[in-house]
Amino acid sequence: MRPENYQSVSQPPSNEFELFYGPNHPGIEGNYALKVRVHGDEVTSARADGGYLHRGFEKLMEGRLWIQNIALVPRICVPDPVPMEVCYSLAVEELGGIEVPLRAQWIRVMQLELSRIAAHLFFFGGHAATTGMYTPMFWGITDRDLILDLFEELSGGRVYHIYNIPGGVRRDLPPGYLERVSKTLDYLESRLPDYDNLLFTNKVFVHRATGIGAMTQEQALEWGVTGPNLRATGLAFDVRRDDPYLVYDQLDFDIPVEAAGDAWARSLVRRSELKESLRILRQVVAKLPHIGGAIRAPIPNPLAWNLPAGDVYTRVESSKGELAYYVVSNGGDKPYRVHVRGPSAMHAVQVLEHLATGARIEDVAQIMFSLDACPPEVDR
Amino acid sequence: MSTLQSIPVVATKAEKPSGGTGNLLANVFDELTAFCRSRSLFMLHYCTGCGAIELPPAMTSRFDMERLGIQPMVTPRQADILLVTGYVSTKTLKRIILTYEQMNSPKYVIGICSCTVNGGMYWQSYATAKVLADYMPVDMYIAGCMPRPEAVISGLRELMANIRAGRSDNWRDYYRRYDHYLGNQQRLFGENWQTPTDVIGEARHYGQFGPETLGEHTALLERHQTPLLPFEMRLGLGGEKTGVENKGDKR
Repeated sequence: MRPENYQSVSQPPSNEFELFYGPNHPGIEGNYALKVRVHGDEVTSARADGGYLHRGFEKLMEGRLWIQNIALVPRICVPDPVPMEVCYSLAVEELGGIEVPLRAQWIRVMQLELSRIAAHLFFFGGHAATTGMYTPMFWGITDRDLILDLFEELSGGRVYHIYNIPGGVRRDLPPGYLERVSKTLDYLESRLPDYDNLLFTNKVFVHRATGIGAMTQEQALEWGVTGPNLRATGLAFDVRRDDPYLVYDQLDFDIPVEAAGDAWARSLVRRSELKESLRILRQVVAKLPHIGGAIRAPIPNPLAWNLPAGDVYTRVESSKGELAYYVVSNGGDKPYRVHVRGPSAMHAVQVLEHLATGARIEDVAQIMFSLDACPPEVDR
Repeated sequence: MSTLQSIPVVATKAEKPSGGTGNLLANVFDELTAFCRSRSLFMLHYCTGCGAIELPPAMTSRFDMERLGIQPMVTPRQADILLVTGYVSTKTLKRIILTYEQMNSPKYVIGICSCTVNGGMYWQSYATAKVLADYMPVDMYIAGCMPRPEAVISGLRELMANIRAGRSDNWRDYYRRYDHYLGNQQRLFGENWQTPTDVIGEARHYGQFGPETLGEHTALLERHQTPLLPFEMRLGLGGEKTGVENKGDKR
């Protein structure tokens, strides 16, 4: 179409405009879009527009071997990939009846919590940036890099570490690794007061985030909200405690809860979770040297590995919420059907549409970032 | 009348651009602009895929891309570099092409991650476009899944060197061989694919009109465009009514 071919369309006099909020927009998280109708600066309706990152994971996984899918699953959620690997491995192990050695389970818990810290640090940066504060973003991303360095040493990859496989983990910890983990934990713990001063008790942030995007507990349950967003509405539900997997039942940790349900409460819950994750990691670091044994249960030749027919549903708590895999096997060497229950699909579609309606246009970015939705996981 | 299926798929090669004009003053001026361009690159802030997760570390304190003069920019009109970070689904590719055509020349495209090279992990996916270079000229590929921030910075430094030496002018290729790129776009999106940008007019304006700018695919594009009415008739400022219905708002 040529520019001179544009025809003006006469509209009735109105203050209503339809805006395309994304995908190329600094206030949107990743490649995602919203269509918002605004009256002045008040949003009268919002419609989520996803599908920009659709790759057809569930179909791709049907065409690959059980072991090949391990390389595919972390790509579903980029900022927090470890729960994806672990959850899929748990599903395959349950299908095949494989008992995972205790040491591998503790190493998995360590990775899960490191990944949670990394994802939360990334979240603080993003949430603060939408309120106009850019320093927390620089701090958060730089501190997150320390954890990526630990992952790199462990697995060779900064972001995607194909480290968990059905049956255990790929290789044992490098010598002196736990000392380096504890040094990083010391550093992160010393940073927490700085974060409080800079962000969580900062008047700019508190005033900007209080009361924005508030939802009640009933609404949250109705919309399928899980994870920190649900705990920010006052319900202490955590898969780690209420349906323990791996060795979480042997660990001592609290479930932080806030009552308000707004953006401020959601960020406070994540801040407390950061502390709890550090506490869990301290226990893991203290316990791991005393747990010997294998790191991997023997599995048959993975290129000709038929799993017995059946279906399983496994769930873990990722940094975004409850992540689950429904895997069906028909006795073959590939999955018959895999369904991924991603937490972000609920947070970024129906919850965001509801919360953005009635908000002001400058708060839409903050609401999206405070829900910590992950667009690749929405579209899959 | 040719249809999209009847047009043969021909692999064409870009012709090498000719050298300097021979005018000494113009050459000095070109050198100077190339130097300035290479030192102030604005990168479009558009996270198209998973490779975008390595850009925040590359841009913030630890690796600090800004010391090279590279900064994120939010609007395509003011950006120089389009970073395509990772796989492009069909829906995203439409937006990328729209974005690319809106950017002002000279513009550079960098394909980050293996997915832009040949499809990468998603080579058998039904939803992604596999080779980015089929749809727009790519100046630099940074392979890896995903490339580390050091790799991203090294790739950008190489792009800066290329711009400095005048080797990176693939944006001309989009105008010179518009028919080729449009054909690939039409094969993916259907033959009534069109963008609001008048690429052919821009090619004439920038002096990049070549023998391969127009072809059978641009003829298809002409056929699907709304018929052009004289300006006065559209505004109702007189002139005869032609009876051609106004189909402007059909989207």
